Amino acid sequence: MSRGTLVYAAQRLVLITVTAVVVSSIVFIGIHQLPGNALASERRNNPATEAALLHHYNLDLPWPQQYVLWVQGLAHGDMGESLVNMGVQITPLLLREARVSVTLGLAAVLITIGVGLTLGTIAAIRQNTWVDYVASTSAVVGYSVPSFVWAFLLILLTVSGFYAWTGGLVYENIGWGKIEQIPVPALALGLPYAAIVARLTRASMLEVIRQDYVRTAWAKGLKARVVILRHSLRNALIPVISILGPLVTGIITGSVVIEYIFGIPGLGQEFVSSILSRDYNIVIGVFTFYAVLIGLANLAVDLIYPVLDPRIRY
Amino acid sequence: MRAVDGISFDVDRGEIVGVVGESGSGKTMTALSLLRLVPEPGKITGRILYGENDVLEMTDDEIREFRGNEVAMIFQDPMTSMNPVLRVGFQIEEAMAAHRRFTGQQARDRVVPMLQRVRIPAAKERIKDFPHQFSGGMRQRAMIAMGVSNEPSLLIADEPTTALDVTVQASIIELLRDISRELRAAVILITHNMALVASLCNRVIVMYAGRIVEQGPTRAIFKNPQHPYTWSLLRSMPRMDEVGKERLVSIRGVPPDLGKLPTGCKFHPRCRFKVDRCLTEEPPLAEVDPEQLARCWVLMKNVPNPEMQS
Amino acid sequence: MAAVPSTVEASQEFLISELPEQSSLGQDAWRRLKRNRLAVVGLVIIAIFFVTALISIVWTPYPTWRQALGTTYAGPSLLHPLGLDDYGRDILSRVMGGAAIALGVGVGASFLASLTGIILGMLAGFFKGKVDALISLTINIFYGVPDLLVALILVVLIGRGLFNIILAIALTGWLGMARLVRGQTLSIREREYVEAARTIGTPNLMILSRHILPNALGPIIVQATYLVPAAIIFEAFLSLLGLGIPPPSPSWGRMASEGYKALQIAPHIVLAPCAALSLTVLAFNWLGDGLRDAIDPRMRR
Repeated sequence: MSRGTLVYAAQRLVLITVTAVVVSSIVFIGIHQLPGNALASERRNNPATEAALLHHYNLDLPWPQQYVLWVQGLAHGDMGESLVNMGVQITPLLLREARVSVTLGLAAVLITIGVGLTLGTIAAIRQNTWVDYVASTSAVVGYSVPSFVWAFLLILLTVSGFYAWTGGLVYENIGWGKIEQIPVPALALGLPYAAIVARLTRASMLEVIRQDYVRTAWAKGLKARVVILRHSLRNALIPVISILGPLVTGIITGSVVIEYIFGIPGLGQEFVSSILSRDYNIVIGVFTFYAVLIGLANLAVDLIYPVLDPRIRY
Repeated sequence: MRAVDGISFDVDRGEIVGVVGESGSGKTMTALSLLRLVPEPGKITGRILYGENDVLEMTDDEIREFRGNEVAMIFQDPMTSMNPVLRVGFQIEEAMAAHRRFTGQQARDRVVPMLQRVRIPAAKERIKDFPHQFSGGMRQRAMIAMGVSNEPSLLIADEPTTALDVTVQASIIELLRDISRELRAAVILITHNMALVASLCNRVIVMYAGRIVEQGPTRAIFKNPQHPYTWSLLRSMPRMDEVGKERLVSIRGVPPDLGKLPTGCKFHPRCRFKVDRCLTEEPPLAEVDPEQLARCWVLMKNVPNPEMQS
Repeated sequence: MAAVPSTVEASQEFLISELPEQSSLGQDAWRRLKRNRLAVVGLVIIAIFFVTALISIVWTPYPTWRQALGTTYAGPSLLHPLGLDDYGRDILSRVMGGAAIALGVGVGASFLASLTGIILGMLAGFFKGKVDALISLTINIFYGVPDLLVALILVVLIGRGLFNIILAIALTGWLGMARLVRGQTLSIREREYVEAARTIGTPNLMILSRHILPNALGPIIVQATYLVPAAIIFEAFLSLLGLGIPPPSPSWGRMASEGYKALQIAPHIVLAPCAALSLTVLAFNWLGDGLRDAIDPRMRR
């Protein structure tokens, strides 16, 4: 990694921090305009208890002061305490859940890229044959079917289907914790995006395989595999990389729904349950986590560019 | 439509043969079909014989071993002919590693000497460069190094200097000549530049509408062109040694549409010297001198005072 | 993918049939669109769903809320072609009602997001400078935030009515449109006819509405078309997570969510709304692809 790249990465990390603070501040301020929070139900029972609770969470202070305290906490990596489950520290909770979400997300990205590149490449080198038509049509269908519909279909297939067809020998348990429980949700999450990657790869490959340098590669007597992988796909990847940023954002969005359906204890699931229980401290925390994750993912994408294309320098 | 039809010629080791003609006359297609690299949706039918072997009959492995090893090609535009994301040294090394002539280690060791051979300064450092860090002339040198790295029997150079600055053209040509002598390879030089042909080639093949219309030793062709097309090509070119003696002539009309070729001699719509027979019957490629062939019913030697005709 | 007529053919047709009367870019694009088989199929599917949605407002086979006790989870039958759900409600009726919500939210949110995006994009692109800096900064910050989470918070903030849902989706969906329009405006404002209009003293508002908007309309229509299925999926996400339009309104997303607990014993409850949803989204994507190719033939491969 060159010096310029390091400087660039450092600048980006600063920018990610700034974005995370700005975004979480907006959410913080927005949420403090809301009537009621998880503690509101206490009011009826005992005003004294409520006052004590409000004090515990600094909620008795004017919100600008709360904000300053919160930002100070954030600077030390402390996101405060859950409103619903008193005493539960948010930072370690979310770190644990982020590991789950990142595992699921990475698996989905791997599926997306693997399936997408393979389908797109095959469609391009078999352009205008039935293989191409099948691959191209399934790509449009693939991204028109939302991730949760894929989830239901895959659950039907793996849980009921496998059980019925193998007489109960093979069956899938929906949930999280075992390695064999990763592929199904990851597939549901990744398939719509795999379709988009396939489409882009096909278009990009069609452009590249007509280039002079690919003709040179054939003329050198290289093997077809080498011409396609080393001299075509690698170059075709450069424009495809540009959608990895939006793709990661999309996968994070999709994971909220997928974690909910599969009961996966990740950030998305936490977000939904805490917004329903009005545990706003956690809501802000998850938001900040996601902003950082998206920032890091986009940074990773930008760092891949110069590796693939030596003409790009930061 | 038919881009190329019935081409056949010999090239000896150490000899440079020029293939000339206007754009679209099928020069490049001839070369590409020899390597079975005609771009989609192009088709090759019939036979393409290289020596005794039919290129069209080769298995995938055979044609792969043939390309770059038996016959290597240097393309027109060095700016687009090298992969922009791979290092120059690697692209040369991989050309050698693809064939059985050299082991992997030999291929690696040969990259620097090959670049030195095409006179790239500081070759040891520059193998790590990417193509965009090379100038146009340097890239074409690297392409030549790539082409000759497997010591092919036949080297095809397709307009190797057209895309380059005039200032570096001469050095590339010189390099091509020296390399072909050192390697004792047969060279086919595809060009539309008659001056280049005159200075470099032993023999000339003139193509028109996908056919050979004239071929022979360079000296004979330049001195006594027999086909009206060759004659016009030469008259359209200014010559330093004959300043003021003859006026330049242009070739009337435009190159033919390969989809709608005329009957008879394909050149007759643009020919100043045509006779009735030219309109109906295509002439054969016939011997006019012991080494010179021409595809014409009239032949320039039978035309009195050609400059006066209009 | 589709039957791709050659450009030569298209231009010949243009010469023969269209020379007498002036052919506008719109008519030209429309003719190309009609040639695209998938786009036409998409258009037909969308039309069917629209008609179904309109009918469902005044009539459905059964009221979408009526529960037939004792026959819950029943599979498809003559009386109930798509079966009954976990409360014994007729699924066909609910899928029909769901079409009205999906299309209402889809078209509404796409319209609102497009309007916001067009206005902000044109302002940023036309006035440049500080206006552009502010708008672009906003766009860039929001691009780094997962839109679904923003929408979820907004829904909690402003409530879960139909219009609020549309608003929440539109407020996260305008970013792409604003980016597109900003880019278009930046390039169109430098063209000679805009220069000319400016030199003769045409007011800015007139330049924006008469010169810039009409010339950027093609890509805007394509983007707005793609926004519809995106908004429909978004609404389904919200409903699935229990934060969509409140019950008993028959949203496809919530129908799927409610049926999920019985997926093993009565998959039809989930599959019916999912199929309707996927088909609608697919139809809009086909139409969008067709429009893109018709409006800018150069983009076609």
